[in-house]
Amino acid sequence: MIGYKLTTTQKEDIQGKEYAPYQAFNCVQDINNIWFTFLTDEDKLILVNSNYKWLLDCPQAEYVPPIPPPFPPTI
Amino acid sequence: MSIRIGIGLDVFSGPGIDADAVAFFARVTAAGGTLSATEITAINKLVKDMKAAGIWTSMKAVYPMVGASAAACAQNLISSSFTGTFFGGWTFASSGVTPNGTNAYMDTNLNVLLNISITSAHLSYYSRTNSASNWDMGVTQGTSTVMGLILKRSTGLSEVDMFSDISEAFSTETDSRGFYLGTRTSNINLKFFKNLTLKATSVVPDTGNLYNGNLYVGAVNGNIQYGNKECALASIGNGLTNTNATDLYTTVQAFQTTLSRQI
Repeated sequence: MIGYKLTTTQKEDIQGKEYAPYQAFNCVQDINNIWFTFLTDEDKLILVNSNYKWLLDCPQAEYVPPIPPPFPPTI
Repeated sequence: MSIRIGIGLDVFSGPGIDADAVAFFARVTAAGGTLSATEITAINKLVKDMKAAGIWTSMKAVYPMVGASAAACAQNLISSSFTGTFFGGWTFASSGVTPNGTNAYMDTNLNVLLNISITSAHLSYYSRTNSASNWDMGVTQGTSTVMGLILKRSTGLSEVDMFSDISEAFSTETDSRGFYLGTRTSNINLKFFKNLTLKATSVVPDTGNLYNGNLYVGAVNGNIQYGNKECALASIGNGLTNTNATDLYTTVQAFQTTLSRQI
């Protein structure tokens, strides 16, 4: 999955912030602890006219998720 | 008296329109959402059918996922409490809402410790996607404080946990499309339904605890893991009997059929 790579400062600027009514950012770390966020085409249309337009200029890269925590156990 | 819905329809209160349905329409409109005439009809029938079946009062939150927008889908059918917020990447469509499986969840703002009984609780999720993922709904702080649904894992299993992993109910799963319901009606009685079928039962005495945090749809709160299945309705509430479970499936399936999105 392709996402937008963020610096820690950029992540802290947007994490949990609402960019539209009832919609908020959620950033996640990849397997190398790099922060990412993901935007749908609809999100991009919203952001292009917002204070978060800068997000669309962030570099994009393939997201490799970290290994999930052990719970729930494999039965 | 009439209420003007976003698309310009007038919905009249009276014998044909349930007052709780009208209140939901008003919440959607106030949030900036709109509903189609078919969605209005389907919601009104869902409310009336749930009341007729005697299961309305068992519900704390029902998210019918209509309106194809975050504003509409965040609204709780039951009351103005527990309005959701969508985080991360979601797709909103007339068929439901789909989390991207990577960073998407809906925070229901329903705190489990404050609103759920450890001996009477249920979760449900109407899935329109056949795929494997981890948690599709719930909260967890580990094996002794968990409440959640996994519709199909990569191991080919599905499960409900309430409130300890020791007393979970699980079964094999090949197709994660359908209406899933996990319900606990006592500390030793946990059942897991898919549509009209009882998939699994646990009678292991539960020793779990209630999580002091909000329940998520599309992921699990706590050690966060994400689901990827299109959701066409989710509910949270008190424990449901076998008859209640059948009635809930029947009413929800009729609702989905009215919207031409049934599985």
